[in-house]
Amino acid sequence: MVDTFHHLMAGFAAAATPTNLMFAFIGCFLGTLIGVLPGIGPAAGTAILIPLTFQLDATGAIIMLAAIYYGAMYGGTITSVLINVPGEAASVITCIDGHAMAKKGRAGAALGIAAIGSFIGGVVATVLLVLVATPLSRLALSFGPPEFFALMIVGLVLVTSLAGSSLLAGVLMTITGLLISLIGLDPVRGAPRFTFGIPELFDGLGFIPVVMGLFGVGEILATAEKPYREVIKTNLRGLIPSREEWNRSMGAIWRGTGIGFFLGLIPGVGAIIPTFMSYIVEKRLSKHPEQFGTGVIEGVAGPETANNSYANGAMVPLLTLGIPSSPTIAVLMGAFIINGLAPGPLLFQERPDLVWAVIASFFIGNVLLLILNLPLVGLWAKILEIPYQYICAGTLLFCIIGAYSINQSIFDLWVMLGCGVIGYLMRKLSFPLAPLVLGLILGPQIEKSMRTSLEMSAGDFSIFVTRPLSASLLALAIAILVFAAMQFAPKEIRDPNAD
Amino acid sequence: MRRGWFVTAGVFLALFAGTAFLSFKLPLLDALGPGPGFFPLILALLGGVLALALVVELKRDPQAPAGAPQPDAEPFMPDQGALFRIVGIIVLLLAAFTALDPLGYRVTSFLFIVLMLLVLGVRNYLAIVLVALALSFGVFHSFYYWLKVPLPIGEFGL
Repeated sequence: MVDTFHHLMAGFAAAATPTNLMFAFIGCFLGTLIGVLPGIGPAAGTAILIPLTFQLDATGAIIMLAAIYYGAMYGGTITSVLINVPGEAASVITCIDGHAMAKKGRAGAALGIAAIGSFIGGVVATVLLVLVATPLSRLALSFGPPEFFALMIVGLVLVTSLAGSSLLAGVLMTITGLLISLIGLDPVRGAPRFTFGIPELFDGLGFIPVVMGLFGVGEILATAEKPYREVIKTNLRGLIPSREEWNRSMGAIWRGTGIGFFLGLIPGVGAIIPTFMSYIVEKRLSKHPEQFGTGVIEGVAGPETANNSYANGAMVPLLTLGIPSSPTIAVLMGAFIINGLAPGPLLFQERPDLVWAVIASFFIGNVLLLILNLPLVGLWAKILEIPYQYICAGTLLFCIIGAYSINQSIFDLWVMLGCGVIGYLMRKLSFPLAPLVLGLILGPQIEKSMRTSLEMSAGDFSIFVTRPLSASLLALAIAILVFAAMQFAPKEIRDPNAD
Repeated sequence: MRRGWFVTAGVFLALFAGTAFLSFKLPLLDALGPGPGFFPLILALLGGVLALALVVELKRDPQAPAGAPQPDAEPFMPDQGALFRIVGIIVLLLAAFTALDPLGYRVTSFLFIVLMLLVLGVRNYLAIVLVALALSFGVFHSFYYWLKVPLPIGEFGL
């Protein structure tokens, strides 16, 4: 524990340098902007902005990209409250009571409590992250290839079973993601696979162009189907909640913090489930559940706190185990890899300076976001007055810059466009995209750990079931899959006694 | 919309069949253990079985599987105006990618933004030109000179 404290203090010293403070501020600002702009989700937004970090050292780059991520989680609230359009998926539930409060003239209080709740949730979740990071990474260091293989399978199964409304579609998307990740040189023998003699494919399909295509171009094509929204003008007054509103929110904020953090630890849960769960919990605990939906402040405070607490909690599996919980975290993992770093337990050993500086920057980022969100909320509301066509054209241009500049390759642009069309079609057909992205980023590691395990056992598959931890994890994966299959099964199978 | 799921299941089947075929051409096992074709073959076989299961389930029950669009779901094709915008975006992106190396970032992105805003229905020509200038020449200056992000210059030095 003393060690952790020393590392954290060193992290603060690194994160609080003027340069890193500036990167955290720019990240928070751009993240909030991404959150405010409907149609650009945090995954695409973070990917688009990766080129901004090319000239930075690894610590500054990761601090900035992480700030973009949790900044986007803050920013999504503003549009939910003011125009009833969630800036990102996790803010959907905030539309219900947040916008109802705005209609009653309490938009300021809704945004104020969302910012304060997000701050408390973010800071407490980061404290918990500090407490669990070291023991968890030490535990993970004792894992061999079979355990890592089993752990990544659990992560993929969770993502698959929680991602969409059809388990079958989720599994098919996961397998497709894993197969796409295998394009290029075989990581163990170096033999080319599925490259068709195209030199650009020898390094595989770029993760960032694929994500930009699926989430950036795909989203813009989907938005182009609907008529563009009218320009919205808003008035904001009274950001500080009244004493009564404050009293009603405190319980919701603490419960939201707990729900968000613990669900953040589970890969695949995504940011939407904690917010919905928090809303349901608040409604169940309320003395007046019938008032939910009419502009109740707990309906904003709980989910918004859970959203930000989740964002920080989700860093635990990434930093300690190298497992991303959501597409946006997968983009962050991609940024680590671009900077020559492999997130996971070894990172705590090899680059403690970087890991602890990034963790310390979460505290600083949450303070910066509170400042950006309370006094500057009027500025964000003004941004909503920009016609969406300009935002759409600008976003596409930044997608081009982002995808091109990583390898200065036109080929990556074609990949992005192809994935954009696929992303658009998959959206229309309700096929979940998250499992594909997670499969894509985890594929090489899953294959490598599986093949290394089999080399250790001279090709004997029983290595996965004779080691207790790996066997337990695989049993857990099977249990999750069976449970999910039961949820998706026809009613007569789930409940044979039902009429 | 349900037909879309049938087609997608068919695409998945073709993808997995092709992958299985190509995987067989790679060494599946060697002296050290599993070869480069081993993992993709397992995935392709598993995916093929599941894609077949999806087809069978879609055929067997019009309400299944859970999550699939129901027979009365909204039509897959967007209306004419939306289709024009979607096709316009794709065509402009294709044109921009083709022009990027020979014309350079500045000229390509200027033309791209002007045409894109027109396709998306903006008719304020002064705003179009100003936004296009900012996003082409302005962004180039910021990214190329300040952020040192490499962007193509083109044959005319632009």
